[in-house]
Amino acid sequence: MSKLAHPGRGRRVHGIAGGITPAANKAASLRSRIMPCPLAPLYTLPLTQYKSVPLTPAVQAGDYVQKYQRLTTSANPDAAHVHAPTSGRIAAIRNCLIADRVETLAPCIELVPDGADTALGCSPVPDFRKLPTSELFQRIIDAGICGMGGAGFPVAQKLRLAQSADCQLLIINAVECEPFISADHALLRERAADVLLGAEIVQTVCRAARCVIALKRDMHAAISATRSALAHSTVEMLLVDSKYPAGAERQLIEAVTGMQLPAGSLPLEAGILMLNAGTTYACGQAVVTGSPCISRITTLTGSALTTPKNFEALIGTPVTFLLELCGVKQHDHTATVLGGSLLGVELASLAVPSTQTTNCLIAATSADLPQSEPELACIRCGYCADVCPVRLLPQQLHAFARNHAHAQLQDYGLTECIECGACDYVCPSHIPLVQYFRAGKQELRDATRHFEQAESWRTRFQQHQYRLKREKESARERRRPESQPTSAPVSRHSPAFSREQAQNEIAAAVARSKARQQARTNRLLASVPKSSGDPEDSGGVA
Amino acid sequence: MYPLIDTALIRLLLWAFLLLALLGLGVTAMRYWRRKLADQHSLVDRINALLPQTQCGACGFEGCLPYARAIANGQAINQCPPGGDGTIIRLGNLLNELPRTLNPAHGVVVEPRVAFIREDECIGCTKCIRACPVDAILGGPKLMHTVIARECTGCDLCVEPCPVDCIEMRPLGPDHSPRWVLPNSGSGTRTSLEVTR
Amino acid sequence: MSVQLHSRVLQRAPQSTRAIMLQVMLACTPGILLSVWFFGYGIVLNIVLASAFALFTEAVILSVRARNWWQGLQDNSALVTAVLFGIAVPPGLPWWLVATGIVFAIAIVKHSFGGLGQNPFNPAMSGYLLLLLAYPLDMTAWHVPATRLFDDTAISTLGWYGLQQSLLASFPGLSLPSATSLPAIDGLAMATPLIEFKMAATSALLSARESGLSFFARESGTGWELVNFGYLLGGLYLLARRIISWHIPVSIIGTVALLATLLYAPNSFAIYGTPYLHLFGSATMLGAFFIATDPVSAATTRRGQLLYGVCIGLGIYCIRVWGSYLDSVAIAVLFGNLCAPLLDHWCRPTIYGHGARQLPVTGGEWKA
Repeated sequence: MSKLAHPGRGRRVHGIAGGITPAANKAASLRSRIMPCPLAPLYTLPLTQYKSVPLTPAVQAGDYVQKYQRLTTSANPDAAHVHAPTSGRIAAIRNCLIADRVETLAPCIELVPDGADTALGCSPVPDFRKLPTSELFQRIIDAGICGMGGAGFPVAQKLRLAQSADCQLLIINAVECEPFISADHALLRERAADVLLGAEIVQTVCRAARCVIALKRDMHAAISATRSALAHSTVEMLLVDSKYPAGAERQLIEAVTGMQLPAGSLPLEAGILMLNAGTTYACGQAVVTGSPCISRITTLTGSALTTPKNFEALIGTPVTFLLELCGVKQHDHTATVLGGSLLGVELASLAVPSTQTTNCLIAATSADLPQSEPELACIRCGYCADVCPVRLLPQQLHAFARNHAHAQLQDYGLTECIECGACDYVCPSHIPLVQYFRAGKQELRDATRHFEQAESWRTRFQQHQYRLKREKESARERRRPESQPTSAPVSRHSPAFSREQAQNEIAAAVARSKARQQARTNRLLASVPKSSGDPEDSGGVA
Repeated sequence: MYPLIDTALIRLLLWAFLLLALLGLGVTAMRYWRRKLADQHSLVDRINALLPQTQCGACGFEGCLPYARAIANGQAINQCPPGGDGTIIRLGNLLNELPRTLNPAHGVVVEPRVAFIREDECIGCTKCIRACPVDAILGGPKLMHTVIARECTGCDLCVEPCPVDCIEMRPLGPDHSPRWVLPNSGSGTRTSLEVTR
Repeated sequence: MSVQLHSRVLQRAPQSTRAIMLQVMLACTPGILLSVWFFGYGIVLNIVLASAFALFTEAVILSVRARNWWQGLQDNSALVTAVLFGIAVPPGLPWWLVATGIVFAIAIVKHSFGGLGQNPFNPAMSGYLLLLLAYPLDMTAWHVPATRLFDDTAISTLGWYGLQQSLLASFPGLSLPSATSLPAIDGLAMATPLIEFKMAATSALLSARESGLSFFARESGTGWELVNFGYLLGGLYLLARRIISWHIPVSIIGTVALLATLLYAPNSFAIYGTPYLHLFGSATMLGAFFIATDPVSAATTRRGQLLYGVCIGLGIYCIRVWGSYLDSVAIAVLFGNLCAPLLDHWCRPTIYGHGARQLPVTGGEWKA
């Protein structure tokens, strides 16, 4: 364990397997500084920042809220709460369209700003070292920060786990290897000191012995800014190769430590905590200024924008509003992508809000992202295996997924696939391999679930039969010495039992139940036209 | 001069050979029989692993294991409505039989269901508890019963014994969670996201 | 129905199967041009005939298999098969033999196994082998237009008469206007140097230099070696463009060179031949860079490809030296194809997190 805490000899950066070097397309959005975002006419704040932590709204439609005011409650003390990005009135709390890998309807708070932007008072801290760790942690919890790298896991929960695990190494991930995205680059270029401050705060909270900030070799401006800020910091800087999945969690761990995370284990189990640079910055701001996380740096880029740039976008800003700030060339605009060009999703509707995980929006022209050509047959060229950072054999997995060969999929390690899309990128036959693998994984999960269910039913049936057999035997044994015919199971419970009485009771109960049933039917008939659907059938998603 | 080979010796050798042959035949037959029995046993397990384990008895047997034994002894493979076509195909693959359509005498394929007790009507007679093949109904005499939905196989066996008809089978709501599908398997050719009902 | 999720990577590498196939054909051109220069139009006729039959068969089979035949032809894979087949079979092969071979290759070897990407064997080589087994005489005679039959007039191989002779060889029974004045072509056959090496085991290039002949003069007999250099050049182009990886060609050439060097005994039995002739005297370069690297039937893991190359190299050398077939590349490649699935299964790379360099992990009991 202690190996992680020390840099080791030579500080060699370890290469990762595979990888691709697609056109980065980051220069356009890095031309200008990070811009503050003007107030949008409406903010939509999703209550499902992270799916497993449900939030309940603490405000009602019509309430007046101030900037930074907390809008939700939760039973979980570490939930990432939603805060008002500006002052204004709550217009409604209803299901709105949000983009979370898929565009789905989710409960949201809609806030109409009043333009005054009156804020609740915050308590800034000039020097975080004077505060106890618990106070630092509480401030991070109160800020409601989600991981800004991708999955959006609440940071407070991650830190809680890191505290209970023996965390040795904190890695700040600023690699940002996906094309088009430049949010972390811009952040480090302009606010490297704040990011490093956040890193030190997080390091204090999770009690990690060592902290490393990882950047990509070609982020020159960010590297020089970080290097000058590092003068007053204990954080180490590490430059990784400029290839695509270098910033993926497991790959970065290998680049930093030279060792691989064992299959199926989490980084924290090996004593490693990894946070995105934006997340670290938000943690730092939460402690130093005392303000909750209501914004994040979002890259707006793509050739369909006249002035691509990075915005400090308030959470909940509509995507259309953000795009219009950069001037959309309507004629060339063919697609809008949420995220980078490899892992991003094409938005079918622009009526979605930006969230804490919205790192990039691409307003693409047909030159940026050409229409995909039809899928051809796999010629087993093996380019995909060359670029796979996990060293899988995508060409084989593809064949197995097509044939639903679950045993082989398992055997060839499909579950280790990180879905980075490198194989997809290089495939000369334009096969959407990642989709095959996601579908394959889903089938594997379903098969496992069915198997476990059937297995549990089988054991329960066996135990049931065993119980019946045992009861029969014990009943036979009981009967033999007594020669008493009464062996109804009810007799054990009531000593003064007579068959007539029992039958009367059953008859009475049946009558009572019949009456209740009749009443229920009458009630149903009397009520206004009502669908016969069962109450368990939830509304579902559109 | 004795003849080189005595006829008695020949006869002796013949008998010995015959005896040995019989012995060998017996041993072989015994081995074969035992191996066949063992195969039969593992075959039953393999068949049972393919059955859906709902224990509904629609096949005419008391549960999935008895039906698996019957299949191993030559029973038709198309008697399992909860398994549907998938089970028949998998059984056919295992047993090298042509898949047939489900025998309608044993029922029709229904979507997965789960039993539900209307609790205000339940009189606590415990009849359903005794009928449940997987002990998924909870309750005591003259106490309200309820179904452990997660353990319920949807076998239908508790519905008929109930004297007050307070048990109904409810379909498990269709799964609306988004699903990844194999490319070109769905309808249409939309590229990023596709919403179909 | 639930929501169906689809995903694709929005940015793609500028590479496509069509372009790969086109570049393979482009890489063949130096070798083909040199062949034409030395041996006349026979090879071009072979390629044209094979391409026509291949495209036609591909289209027919695709429509029989209820596929979109026009889209199917777009991937150029049938063309590549035809070009490689046309290069492999000897010039002057009658057209019906060309047709038999290529139709067998496309219809049986490729499509009966499921079409592009599914065939376990290299179609071009399978077609070649079929002809070699069925028509051994036709397949070992290299018809070269008669250039020096008339002492008074030197007829160019590339001239009109050369073309006529090649046409006559491909289409026997064809009546050309001036055909009667020309001698029959079957008198001239030329074997590859490797077959001749029992008599003259030296490089034609070296002897040409010694006798002061130009390398590119047809009389110098350097044709075979230069053609091989042509294919080597094309192979290097494919390597530079990263269309093929170095593993298969290097291990084939390495194996053949190693065996030839180890077993070469200049003063004893001449049967083993010089390493140089093994590499450049026959179809080794074509096989190593163009035929064995056919991705569909080759091994796809990198370590598997190295072993696959060793299998083919062994096959090439052993069949050449101890076997009775003159051309060993086709048989060796098919032998390699047979081994490829097993090699792939053995040589799977270690997946991330399954290897030796693993971080120590706590039991995880802190996970609440």
